[in-house]
Amino acid sequence: MKNIFSIKTLWSVLYFVAGMALIGGIWELIAHFTKNEIPSPRATWVVFKEVMHNPFQNDPDYKGIGVKLLSSLARVGIGFGLGSIVAIPLGLLMGSSRIVMNIINPIVQLLRPVSPLAWFPLGLAIFQDSPKASIFMIFICALWPTVINTAFGASSISNDHKNVGKAYGFSTWKYITKIMLPSTLPHIITGLRLSIGVAWMVIVAGEMLSGGIGLGYFVWEEGFNGGSVAKILVAIIIIGVVGLLLDKCFTWLQKKFSYAV
Amino acid sequence: MNMSNIISTEQLTAHINEVADSILAPALNTSSIEVNNVTVSFKTPKGVYTAVKEISLTVQKGEIISLIGHSGCGKSTLMGTISGMVKPSAGEVYANGKKVTSPGPDRGIVFQNYSLLPWLTVYKNIYEAVDSVLADKPAAEKRELVENNLKMVNLWEHKDKLPGQLSGGMKQRVAIARAFSINPAILLLDEPFGALDALTKSSMHVELLKLWNLDNRDKTIVMVTHDIEEAIFLSDRVVVMNNGPAATIKEIVEVPLPRPRNKKDIVHSPEYMLIHDKLLNLLIDKFSIEDMV
Repeated sequence: MKNIFSIKTLWSVLYFVAGMALIGGIWELIAHFTKNEIPSPRATWVVFKEVMHNPFQNDPDYKGIGVKLLSSLARVGIGFGLGSIVAIPLGLLMGSSRIVMNIINPIVQLLRPVSPLAWFPLGLAIFQDSPKASIFMIFICALWPTVINTAFGASSISNDHKNVGKAYGFSTWKYITKIMLPSTLPHIITGLRLSIGVAWMVIVAGEMLSGGIGLGYFVWEEGFNGGSVAKILVAIIIIGVVGLLLDKCFTWLQKKFSYAV
Repeated sequence: MNMSNIISTEQLTAHINEVADSILAPALNTSSIEVNNVTVSFKTPKGVYTAVKEISLTVQKGEIISLIGHSGCGKSTLMGTISGMVKPSAGEVYANGKKVTSPGPDRGIVFQNYSLLPWLTVYKNIYEAVDSVLADKPAAEKRELVENNLKMVNLWEHKDKLPGQLSGGMKQRVAIARAFSINPAILLLDEPFGALDALTKSSMHVELLKLWNLDNRDKTIVMVTHDIEEAIFLSDRVVVMNNGPAATIKEIVEVPLPRPRNKKDIVHSPEYMLIHDKLLNLLIDKFSIEDMV
């Protein structure tokens, strides 16, 4: 068993290194052709170390990158959390009732294509507060994937399973807790996974509008206010890695709750 | 003296008769299931589809009967009216003296697809059913029921496994244990062994009869099947259905073979061979390529 484990991981590590080498190579080429306007990987690494120095320093004039990261994560967390609290029950209702579905679905389809950034001014008008408007924006955008996937899951509960409830006279509560929720859970997790991805993307864009101390604002400062391109690249790498980790959390949850029939 | 307390002799006699009837009725009434002129139709986009038409059938208590016929002949639909999962469009079904309107604890159902909940362990699958049907009983009693029934089907060691970790035969044994554990007077099996291989199927027949015997042959069993040998081995009577739509009963064949039946010996019995031939003739019209002229 141990042998299989280390050979498998060895190969995955090799594939990962190959991927990184590929992108590193392309990066070097771009740096070369733009005459280091885009800094090379080595130059960026120097800046990376500089940025990562004292990541959690929290002074009024210097906030470490760790503080910025946590600030963004906190806003995503609250928006995503609130969104999930609303989206999951709504999705369950939609999936269980034709009437609710027919009434709410058009609203979902209407609001879903709206760009997240369009919600920010609305949030500002409602809350008169930038951070709250950011959270509002995340909240709205995190709703849709979760609602849609949850509704789908709740409406496609296998008849075999419903028959068990019917045949053995399950009460409504037992039906919900022992048949509907476990059956829908994989779909809910898929929805949450998509929602967190959207939320994380939106916060970066949103912080450019709202200011504050998050990663998005960091990119805005460096990018649009004539700072270091290397710092932008560093920010991109950090954003990407965090996004990947968040996604991995939900992939792990998905695996945990999938059942062979 | 309050005059309203005095009742007439007629009223008294009627009352005594009522009480006497209710005491004697269980002993006198041996029919466990009565299907009275049942028709089942569905509305489909293409019009009304009649699955079964004007079917009447009586099953005695403790009888094992099979419903056999070609695919789509309405046998599962008919059994659905007995289990309460299907509502008759005309006619009614009585089970254990009461009219059937919905599934109930007096009728246990085993589905063709086992229908175990894949996120619950073997133990929990049975426990939830017991907990739902026999809600008022104390928890200790429910746990005892689950344990006894799992042990009866020899799956107690697997009680913490998930259905995904079990073989088809084991899953079906769990489903059967689940149906038995609510102690229904009637057991309804819808092609319970259809998805199993021939060897497993064969041992399941013996298992089922063992469970039935353990209960003093008290339970009435209705089984839907495609398998002629299975029908003869298990049943007291075989109900052969016509092809659908609007299926009716073609013929009911008695199987007066003595119990306990032995899988090896039974096939050599001349009576068995007669019954087997009869059923084959009722169900199949092409026996060799010469019949295809």
